[in-house]
Amino acid sequence: MAGNFWQSSHHQQWILDKQDLIRDRQYDLAILSEEEYQKIFNFFASIIQVLGEQLKLRQQVIATATVYFKRFYARNSLKCIDPLLLAPTCVFLASKVEEFGVISNSRLITTCQTVIKNKFSYAYGQQEFPYRTNHILECEFYLLENLDCCLIVYQPYRPLLLFVQDIGQDDQLLTYAWRIVNDSLRTDVSLLYPPYQIAIASLHIACVMLGKESHKPWFAELNVDMDKIQEIVRSIINLYEMWKSYDEKKEIQALLAKMPKPKPAPQR
Amino acid sequence: MGDNYQNKTMAPVMMDYDFKLKTQTERSKVEDLFDFEGCKVGRGTYGHVYKARRKDGSDTKDYALKQIEGTGLSMSACREIALLRELKHSNVINLIRVFLSHTDRKVWLLFDYAEHDLWHIIKFHRAAKASKKSVMVPKGMVKSLLYQILDGIHYLHSNWVLHRDLKPANILVMGEGPERGRVKIADMGFARLFNAPLKPLADLDPVVVTFWYRAPELLLGARHYTKAIDIWAIGCIFAELLTSEPIFHCRQEDIKTSNPYHHDQLDRIFNVMGFPQEKDWEDIRKMPEHATLVKDFKRSNYQNCSLSKYMDRHKIKPDSKAFSLLQRLLLMDPNRRITSEQAMQDPYFTEDPLPTQDVFAGCPIPYPKREFLTDDDQDDKSDSKARQNQQQQQQQQQQQQNNTQQNQVQANSHDHVANNAKRMRMTGPNQGNNTGGGGQQEFHQQQQMMFGGQQQGASNQQQGNFQQRF
Repeated sequence: MAGNFWQSSHHQQWILDKQDLIRDRQYDLAILSEEEYQKIFNFFASIIQVLGEQLKLRQQVIATATVYFKRFYARNSLKCIDPLLLAPTCVFLASKVEEFGVISNSRLITTCQTVIKNKFSYAYGQQEFPYRTNHILECEFYLLENLDCCLIVYQPYRPLLLFVQDIGQDDQLLTYAWRIVNDSLRTDVSLLYPPYQIAIASLHIACVMLGKESHKPWFAELNVDMDKIQEIVRSIINLYEMWKSYDEKKEIQALLAKMPKPKPAPQR
Repeated sequence: MGDNYQNKTMAPVMMDYDFKLKTQTERSKVEDLFDFEGCKVGRGTYGHVYKARRKDGSDTKDYALKQIEGTGLSMSACREIALLRELKHSNVINLIRVFLSHTDRKVWLLFDYAEHDLWHIIKFHRAAKASKKSVMVPKGMVKSLLYQILDGIHYLHSNWVLHRDLKPANILVMGEGPERGRVKIADMGFARLFNAPLKPLADLDPVVVTFWYRAPELLLGARHYTKAIDIWAIGCIFAELLTSEPIFHCRQEDIKTSNPYHHDQLDRIFNVMGFPQEKDWEDIRKMPEHATLVKDFKRSNYQNCSLSKYMDRHKIKPDSKAFSLLQRLLLMDPNRRITSEQAMQDPYFTEDPLPTQDVFAGCPIPYPKREFLTDDDQDDKSDSKARQNQQQQQQQQQQQQNNTQQNQVQANSHDHVANNAKRMRMTGPNQGNNTGGGGQQEFHQQQQMMFGGQQQGASNQQQGNFQQRF
């Protein structure tokens, strides 16, 4: 479906309004500060990223899984489904949609167990990955429902490739901008802006970082809403600012403890 | 120190109870909204299809409810939902809604109901032909059908979606109602995005296209699906609409072979088309199975074969616009095959009669409505058995008739293998004769004979917009 972003469910249903997003997060933001909320999403985006890499998925698939994850919590509180369960569920669903061959149930669970144990022990200590296949499959139905069956997600990678080609092939620029697009997944921009704008913003940041003055005219000639591009740039720069003074390894356990959690059925 | 994760033995609560309760209350169940019990109209590897009505009577339209085979979200179910959710074109089946049944983990898809499909329509014409009856259809029906198929495929292709399994059973036609006589391309279960293949396509599902509609490059081991593969299938369907015979009909054996190379199917294609000349398909040498091809086939066996001869035997003149378009769709070299866009520009479509939105052009629809299937597999089988017997009987009768005038008639060339991708192995008594008869596995002789009588008898009835066959 690369042909038609403008008629896609992504454009029609999933470019959200910032005010709506803030309103829908009220429950969680009564418990967590905005920064804490973002740090928690950062953490689960890392889990999705590492899981995807371990499963040898392409970045496109990982990005789609991350967007599913964000879309679910854009409409629901963190307490509705444990994000530690939803994260691998998103990876599982995205891999089926993007058709990278099927990941077997057992391989998915084993990978979750190893990843949590080996890469995220700073967050979970000795706690093992607590879920099994049946949990993932049940969760998958809830995820699909909450996504309103919108499974095709447009990513900034393809427009980015085209823009870099248009500027005049520059591998260093592409590499930088590509990483910035990856980083943008840690912000809300994939919920708020069309992917081509995210691509332009990432390219813009990359040009500034690399001091590529010569590309200025290219941006000037673009027929895009530069205010939107600036908003995206600001979101990504804010993320980088936050990272400077943030040590996830030290803070994440406290954040996870503070995070709103699912409540079981009332005991009689 | 998350209290949920503190204790190694205690699993955290995965889902919030209130959330679960709330979604349960809000979720509508397919059986609460629709009546469909006992209304099964289709059964195949994809699952079951029911004809359904809304229970609340808010409209009296018919709907098609497809219960996907198996439980949960298989990869093909995911692909189907993902793609159909995005696609919107008047000639592509419209997904209205998805129902997820959490208790039995079944997935249901709700579509508009299409009363007809090309498999049944062609079958009806063949049966009419066999019993020497005529079917009154508008003169331009084949053209209208083809145009709308091309329109739908053009939409899919320009959205970077390949169908990959085009065949008459997957081309639906709407019955009476606001969309009367409109083509709907369906069964996109295997469709995939192809603009940036993440994995070579051939690695995913080794065999997807029914052999008869499968392009020669696939049979020679092409590793990637292309738009041209869909175009070949459309060419096959076009020829079948013109003649009521599957143009590349071939005995089918093991369907689930992982080897794409299929000797008999290639033989059949060459018997109709002739053996490809080097100059007509330069890259044929690069095909993975080219060596096998060279080993297995002799050009000299196909000296007298050509598409124009084949179609001429089926009363389609080589100088007609229909033939010239068919030839452009059925080019052996995928690189030379025309695109759907080019096909829609073909002079065939500007020549009278012009294609119509309603393929029946306002005329009465001669085809029967779908019948309800009984609920269990056994009935399905006995149904197909009955069909088989009937066909065998028919064949025997025909043989008796033909034996005096004609060569042997090949058995089972007449059955379209069972509908709905559920491919039966037919065991007609004359199966072995398939390769006999001078290599031409056709029925034109017999057909001519039937038509000879029939055409004269019916010619008086032919008026205006009508003709008696496709």
